[in-house]
Amino acid sequence: MSCHGPASAPVEGRSGTATVAPIPATVRVLLVGGPNVGKSTLFNALTGARQHTTNAPGTTVELATGTWRTAGHSRAGHNRAGHNRAGHNRAGHSKAGYSGAGQGTAARGAAGDTTVVSATERAIVDLPGTYSLLARSADEEVTAGAVQELARSCAEGGGQPGVVVVVLDATALGRSLYLLAQVAETGVPLVVALTMLDLAPRAKDSPTAAMDPDTLAVALAASLGVPVVPMDARNRTAGGVSELGLAVDAVAANPTRVIGIAPPGSSFRSGTGTAAFPSGTRMAAWQQQDASLPDLTQELAHAETLFAWVEAVTEQVTTCLARPLSPGAPGKAAATSGHRSSGPLRRTFSDRVDTILLNPWAGIPVFLAVVWLLFELTTRFAAPIQGAIGQLVNGPLASGVTWLLGLFGLADSWVQGLLVDGVLVGVGTVLTFLPVMTVMFAALGVLEDSGYLARAAFVADRAMRSLGLDGRALLPLIVGFGCNLPALAATRTLPHARQRLLTGLLIPLTSCSARLTVYVLLAGAFFPDHAGTVIFAMYLTSVLLVLGGGLLLRRTAFRDVRAGPLMLVLPPYQRPHLRTLSMSVRMRVGAFVVRAGKIIVITMVFVWALMAVPVTGQHPIGHVPVADSLYYNVASGIAPVFTPAGFGNDHAAAALMTGFVAKEVVVGSFAQSYAVAEPGNSSGAQSLGERLRSSFTESSGGHGGAAALAFMVFLLAYTPCVAALAEQRRLFGWRPAASALTAQLAGAWVLAVLVFQVGSLL
Amino acid sequence: MTLPESPLGAELRVTGVRLAAADAFRLNEMGIRLGTLAHVTQHAAFGGRVIAVAGSRYALDGQTAALIDVEPVERFG
Repeated sequence: MSCHGPASAPVEGRSGTATVAPIPATVRVLLVGGPNVGKSTLFNALTGARQHTTNAPGTTVELATGTWRTAGHSRAGHNRAGHNRAGHNRAGHSKAGYSGAGQGTAARGAAGDTTVVSATERAIVDLPGTYSLLARSADEEVTAGAVQELARSCAEGGGQPGVVVVVLDATALGRSLYLLAQVAETGVPLVVALTMLDLAPRAKDSPTAAMDPDTLAVALAASLGVPVVPMDARNRTAGGVSELGLAVDAVAANPTRVIGIAPPGSSFRSGTGTAAFPSGTRMAAWQQQDASLPDLTQELAHAETLFAWVEAVTEQVTTCLARPLSPGAPGKAAATSGHRSSGPLRRTFSDRVDTILLNPWAGIPVFLAVVWLLFELTTRFAAPIQGAIGQLVNGPLASGVTWLLGLFGLADSWVQGLLVDGVLVGVGTVLTFLPVMTVMFAALGVLEDSGYLARAAFVADRAMRSLGLDGRALLPLIVGFGCNLPALAATRTLPHARQRLLTGLLIPLTSCSARLTVYVLLAGAFFPDHAGTVIFAMYLTSVLLVLGGGLLLRRTAFRDVRAGPLMLVLPPYQRPHLRTLSMSVRMRVGAFVVRAGKIIVITMVFVWALMAVPVTGQHPIGHVPVADSLYYNVASGIAPVFTPAGFGNDHAAAALMTGFVAKEVVVGSFAQSYAVAEPGNSSGAQSLGERLRSSFTESSGGHGGAAALAFMVFLLAYTPCVAALAEQRRLFGWRPAASALTAQLAGAWVLAVLVFQVGSLL
Repeated sequence: MTLPESPLGAELRVTGVRLAAADAFRLNEMGIRLGTLAHVTQHAAFGGRVIAVAGSRYALDGQTAALIDVEPVERFG
């Protein structure tokens, strides 16, 4: 069926003869909105755990997709139906904001108009935030492309029906309405979800401050002519989710046009249902999949008409609301379009906080303190839990598996080696990451949800600018401290390809959390009284490497890169919501376990196999002295390269070999290496530290601490993992990726040698 | 005068944007256009400014802020 639905059929309804608009079982829903409008929170509320992340086709832009299920229900199409918000408000409209719109919406306010059978399952996509469909970055291109594709599908009248849910920020109507106008121009069926209503009262100079959310929704619906649903996405049971579902289903069956926005053209649909956009228009360019949109002058002229429409709607809504809400002060609500005086500045809570956090003198120290706190949390807080998990896996769990295998006569067989020293070590390694990753993702989530992350980008703008990058580049670089892989994907938010490449080459120098596990191990083993300081120094080194590497590239291969203007919308500060945050952390940690876990376990099994296969001597598989194993022979061949850096021992070389595959494997590789080297001794956290001290001290001629520092610096500076390398190749091509790999290995070696040689003199 | 020259808290009207056309366009799309009224709410490091427009707060780096011309809004009555 087409997006515009089939003709309705008369049926018997509760209130007499009614029409049923059949809703297809699955409706495609696109969530479109600006950055920081609560889109992802809404997505989480709609999908719960039924979501996963994927890359947009042909890109590395990450999309969250999910299934939005509601219990099947029907609704008589009048305002007092149970799924609506209990009838009328004082203005005489339905609180859901769509019943009274009167412009082709599914429920028209009179009993018996239409009965809508709700779809029970909808496929929903959370598209990247954008201010405009005139895309400036790959992320924005994905959003614009998805809307355009849906518009094309609607125009052609076939395929899966779809609805765009435009997320409108109640505290920034003008900005949100402009995007809505662009979406409406494409001709797609749309519903408006009104968010940020809880923040509107605190935005004292906002047009919507002190406005009743339901009244605002009704006024907007009346002005727009499409369903407007006020949302409190943090409250799944009473937050408008049901109403939004009804509205989506209603619009899928019976689409309406936004008032005042010209449809795509009189020839938008031909008699055969084939789209035929007017030649030369933006829609025609989209239809022809022509990436070259009309020139900027034409777009500017067109945008002026949309700006005028935005002004008119804003004026209409606020003037309407000024009468019932502010009878004593009609001018207050009307002064909202951004062009009328709103009088003296009314400072908000966020303004007062910003006087400190964005202060010219205090802002940067506060930023550094926040970063320092972040990593104290991931070390002091997470490390003991990691240790406990490691002991549990290496102790009782390993013993249990061994005992079980003994029952089947497999004790001391290669099967036991594979399961205990390969698979279980891999699983244990993954499990020990969980506390660190959880703390890291939670901390980043708090920074993001609280509104500070945008301030951090602003504060760091100057530092980025010296690299030819603007403050936005800080965001992927910060993400890089969690994991390099999503950080590389996040470079697509930068508007220029050369900036993306430069940032993408610097990201491997950010110390991802997988490296943190190695820092914790080595700092704890070699500097037990100053482990926190050493780890902090590693992160500081990482920042210096990013800056140094950036300056070097800026003065050589990237002289052409210039920073664009920084224009950021600062979201108001708010308290992160525990349920939303925990859901986000769960999803991210789950994705880490699934994606990285497979690689880690497979790698550990591979490493075990290298150790289990003899290359010299006569040994059965799985009972090979280290000196005779394939693993040892390869590592031994590499180890002398690291002698000038003080860690030219087989264990370190082997760990770096496997670390090339994934840094998560390094600690496990150490554990496995030492366990296999000396069978009969379990490799608990304590004994592993002792073994590391012994071998590093030996290979460095008595300067174990300096060798450990050199090892950590090498680990920081060389290739983060095979996955990151593959992502670089995908984003930038083989040549830059290969050049980066060579430069990373050479640079890491030089730095490690420097650190050891200087450190051993102290 | 330009944004960085404007006093904190004063009501201003945007009278000119001397950014490159594409950048000025994005600023327009974000809600800052000729005639828009704004207040400077915060001076940040290196000339950066935070301005309030219709309830939203926009952070602008020093160079960008210096390319936005404003005039004080005269108030009557």
